[in-house]
Amino acid sequence: MTPTTPLLSTLESFLSLTVNREQAISANMANVDTPGYRTRDINFQGELRKAMNATQSQSENGGFTAQMNPVVQEVSGLMERPDGNNVNLDREGLLMSETQLQYQIGVQLVKHQFHQILSAINGGGQS
Amino acid sequence: MNLFDSLSVSGSALAAERQRSEIIAANMANAETTHTEAGGPYRRREVVFQPAGSSFRLALANTASSMGPAPGSVQISEVMDDPTPPIMRYEPGHPDANKDGYVAFPAINPAMEMVDLMSSVRSYQLNASAVAAEKQMIQQTVDILKS
Repeated sequence: MTPTTPLLSTLESFLSLTVNREQAISANMANVDTPGYRTRDINFQGELRKAMNATQSQSENGGFTAQMNPVVQEVSGLMERPDGNNVNLDREGLLMSETQLQYQIGVQLVKHQFHQILSAINGGGQS
Repeated sequence: MNLFDSLSVSGSALAAERQRSEIIAANMANAETTHTEAGGPYRRREVVFQPAGSSFRLALANTASSMGPAPGSVQISEVMDDPTPPIMRYEPGHPDANKDGYVAFPAINPAMEMVDLMSSVRSYQLNASAVAAEKQMIQQTVDILKS
């Protein structure tokens, strides 16, 4: 028996997805003045659903979580500046705060999971 | 792809924006320079940004060890001279005046440079706050280890 729960594997893919998104956002912010740069993002909900399905099928087979490879794609429908750059600072700032909070939620849930395991080890008494 | 990669992406933007500010400051400082080592008045300079970190590395990100700039970084590809011809001002007493009494001054518009500088500073601030956000996320990860 492994000490990890199915929820921990899901949380792992959730955290790794938020990190991927954070990197996409920081790349967009870094290239705010680069001519011709197009805003990039990952489809968070779609990728998370894919990861959760993979985790479910794997936990049934008793395997490890697969390496995730989220698709980074260009975002459409943004206003383009004359130099061909379409980075929207408000969008990126808002998404960065959102991603940061999502990451915090993920970390808190992971901590809670480990506390639960610790509580089981201690017989539900202290800690 | 990890949080430290995001840090280096934001760091590359900080470096690029700082160099841009330095070039703008040099332009403003030399707005009245009529004599340079190369001869003639000072030439206004401009930076050119370009994305760094090849898409090839993006494709190999999961297999190859991390080398070079992280995907999504920005870099200054070149610092180019502004081809605008110098402004001729009539100052017969000036040591750099030509035989008709005209002096070639660099074609620098202080208002334009200030606006450019403000844009650069704002981008720097934006990326600095991104660094703060990434730092906080790394700190939270470390906090998993604490009870």
